[in-house]
Amino acid sequence: MREHTEAIRPPRALWVTFELGRPLGIPDDPDFQRRVLRATAELLERTDGPLIADYPEEVAEEADFTGWACPINLTPQATGTLAAEIDRLATWHDQSVARTGRTTVGVSGLDMPAAGALLSAALAGDLPPAQTLKEAVDDLRAYYLEAASAFPDPGTAKKRKAWLWDETVFGKALLDLQPRLAASEHPQHRILGNLTLIPATERYRLAKK
Amino acid sequence: MVKRLSDMPEVEAHHLRRIECPTFDDTLALPGKPLSQRRVALISTAGLHRRGDRPFRPGDGSYRVIPAGTPARDLVMSHISVNFDRTGFQQDHNVAFPIDRLRELVEEGVVGSMASMHYSFMGAFPPDAAEPHAQHLAGLLKQDAVDAALLVPV
Repeated sequence: MREHTEAIRPPRALWVTFELGRPLGIPDDPDFQRRVLRATAELLERTDGPLIADYPEEVAEEADFTGWACPINLTPQATGTLAAEIDRLATWHDQSVARTGRTTVGVSGLDMPAAGALLSAALAGDLPPAQTLKEAVDDLRAYYLEAASAFPDPGTAKKRKAWLWDETVFGKALLDLQPRLAASEHPQHRILGNLTLIPATERYRLAKK
Repeated sequence: MVKRLSDMPEVEAHHLRRIECPTFDDTLALPGKPLSQRRVALISTAGLHRRGDRPFRPGDGSYRVIPAGTPARDLVMSHISVNFDRTGFQQDHNVAFPIDRLRELVEEGVVGSMASMHYSFMGAFPPDAAEPHAQHLAGLLKQDAVDAALLVPV
């Protein structure tokens, strides 16, 4: 944050306007990333700090694909259960791993059916420790979004995130779980429910429920 | 690499405004070796670590070690915040942790060399929780002959 950087006064900072989570700007664009990193490193040569230098390049919003639709019908009514949805996405996740050579799933140590079972149990009233649940949910979120990136017409990252909340049993499960966590007697459950389960940009969905 | 609060959804900006944020008065930009002679380490706050390392927990001010040769397929992220994009990292780790780009700048001679170890904190902790870890890490960076650290937040 610009405001926090101005308060802290680090010796040298480069200000970029890219989406949070993408400090180097654009995935799979080595030239762009190299320019940002070089601009950052070259600040080391300056001795007029504390300073904040403005990076001149911006990133345009990803081009949208009108008519984007999920190629397999994952609407809650169609798939029924979370377990079935997780299973149905496995082949797409395999495609993603084959294409990129990696996955960011693997924080919880659970396989995806087990992570799904944990979430289903939580929804049924059997709340596991908050950290265990958080790691399982984050792994599932990564699994869903990586799987969706391998769809034949994957659309933009923004579309895929909207898909997760609009059209999946998983997204609905998280929204259903939030009030249970927020009402828990355990502070860690309440932190999860109130801060680290639903992104701020999606919390309006709770009010609609 | 930082953004403005006015760009955020109000609920998120409100939360970020309340975060404890000390002002330091001794942050001079001191002169050093030319960049082409510097040994550079990356320090991320994205909550990165190798798969199998301890995930980060709320308030966790400690760091995880990422050896320079860590394959991208071994990197995972356990930041507690859900209010930043992770799809970029899922697609290309360099967009959050530019280890390959730093290696290229070394090969081009722009940067002198790369540290043998790089590090990640999980950038959601009270400053006091991180201070002892940061002090310890500063000593380790010196042992690795590092003379510049690039802090890469998310």
